[in-house]
Amino acid sequence: MPSVAITAPRPGSLARRERRFAYALLAPAVVAVFALIAYPMYLIFAMSFREGKSLNFLALNTRPFGLANYQIVLTDSATWHSVWVSFAYTFGTIIPAFLIGLGTAVLLNRVFPLRRWLRSLMLLPWAVPGVMVSIVFLWLFDASFGVVNYVLRTAGLISTDVAWYTTESTALVAVIIPTIWKSYPFFTLTLLAAMQSIPGNLYEAAEVDGATAWQRFTNITWPGIRGQATLALVLNGLWAFREFDIIYAATGGGPAKATETLGIRAYNEAFGYFYMGRAAVIGVLMLAIALVAVMLARKQLRKEFF
Amino acid sequence: MRGDPRHPLAWTVGVALLCLALLFPFYWMTVTAVLPTSQVLAREPTLVPALADISFRAFAAAFERKPLATWLTNSLLVTVGATALSLVIASLAGYSLSRFRTRAQELTGLTLLLTKMLPGSLIVIPFFIMATTFHLIDSLWALMLANAAVGVPFATWLLKGFFDGIPRDLEHAAMIDGCGHLTAFLYIIVPLARPGLAACAIYLAILTWSDFVFAKTLINDQAHWTITTGMVSFIGEHGIDWSALMAAGVISMVPMVVLFLLLEPFLVSGMTSGSQR
Repeated sequence: MPSVAITAPRPGSLARRERRFAYALLAPAVVAVFALIAYPMYLIFAMSFREGKSLNFLALNTRPFGLANYQIVLTDSATWHSVWVSFAYTFGTIIPAFLIGLGTAVLLNRVFPLRRWLRSLMLLPWAVPGVMVSIVFLWLFDASFGVVNYVLRTAGLISTDVAWYTTESTALVAVIIPTIWKSYPFFTLTLLAAMQSIPGNLYEAAEVDGATAWQRFTNITWPGIRGQATLALVLNGLWAFREFDIIYAATGGGPAKATETLGIRAYNEAFGYFYMGRAAVIGVLMLAIALVAVMLARKQLRKEFF
Repeated sequence: MRGDPRHPLAWTVGVALLCLALLFPFYWMTVTAVLPTSQVLAREPTLVPALADISFRAFAAAFERKPLATWLTNSLLVTVGATALSLVIASLAGYSLSRFRTRAQELTGLTLLLTKMLPGSLIVIPFFIMATTFHLIDSLWALMLANAAVGVPFATWLLKGFFDGIPRDLEHAAMIDGCGHLTAFLYIIVPLARPGLAACAIYLAILTWSDFVFAKTLINDQAHWTITTGMVSFIGEHGIDWSALMAAGVISMVPMVVLFLLLEPFLVSGMTSGSQR
């Protein structure tokens, strides 16, 4: 349309119109974030000061206001037990998952037939819902008919069946293993992407210099992916720290709180015992711990998020 | 590390074997689903079943004993609704963040990080209170909104990365030709961002299909359960019917597995372009 050039608005009003357009596009997202993230977070903080238990969730505002919840939760040894379980679960998950992810990424970072399909298959566990992962592993680790006990029996490693999920000393391992399985693809994906951004001529030069595969890994690949690796570890660590589905479906936090992470504990306090205030305090504690992790890794995170 | 391995085919075989080992849980699940109970509940399970023993009775049993079809439909409704809603909201916001400098830009990273720190089992408490206030307990709408909201920040960030990769000249050219900005976005940019939108949609769909904590908390009525809450209800039972449970598990995973395998390249390129900036 030729008329555009004639009726072009003054620069000032154009900028204003653009800004209005920019905010209009953002508006739904802002509403979503406020209504469904910011306001709920405010509710959690507000709730953490409301004492006692209540079956009537809407009457929480009428409950006495104070710090009693913080005092009760923070002096309860069960809370600190949960902190320990959370850490054991998180690190027990991300370290092996990272190693599997790194190994698979190195293998996939080559050119070979069927590569695209094998990559897809390797990433598949990521697409499985947490509770399904849990259910499959409940069956694999079943005390009487599970294939894991069968293999261990046949190999002579155990003489009697291990009831993985109902024994206090093995339950945590038994929920960590499915979590590793679900989370290694994330590492494979991010590390593979990082490896593919390393210029190929570095490897060619190394080849000319006669570097071994290990030397190429330590001198080229690892320095090239270290930043992404740290970031992936932090993000997956945050994910494992708040993971709920796998543990809840497998053990519900038991036996005898052996797998009760902070996330499970918060849920049980809220919907098992109706101590909303205490659940909120546990939530605040979780956020505080996550915040410390984020602060420790702020250099990597800044590059990614800001 | 990079380049052609000396024996590419040997490499394929090696990776395939590792793949088989890593995917053993899928294999075992399927084997359990197609074998009769007498062989499933055996002290010495058959690792490779004989073809003659295979039957699909457990699949029928799963559908007969539990309202699987209802749960699958509910999951599908919630997944489609939440994914579509998130995708629309996130593509508008992602485009705005990519093209205009606004105050919101400084807050996106922070919001995203916050959602990475916020546990589902915590955020569900206020969701529960809000759903109770608005009489949305037992409503699939509540589930849809909750899942959509949780997906928006990451989807926005993913799509912003995609829009950043599309030259601004394209929509400027269209606007000089007389298109409005919104029209230019819808007809020029959106089609170009299709791989990004696909990646984002898969991500959101998998996230919603997997949701358990919202479905468990916001829905009591069994007729409104989703597949995840339904599946978990098998576990508490006395004497679990593993064949039927695994059959139900296979069915519940098929949609996401197919979606993932077909669209995985989009997801990989989407995730990497989003995280490589």
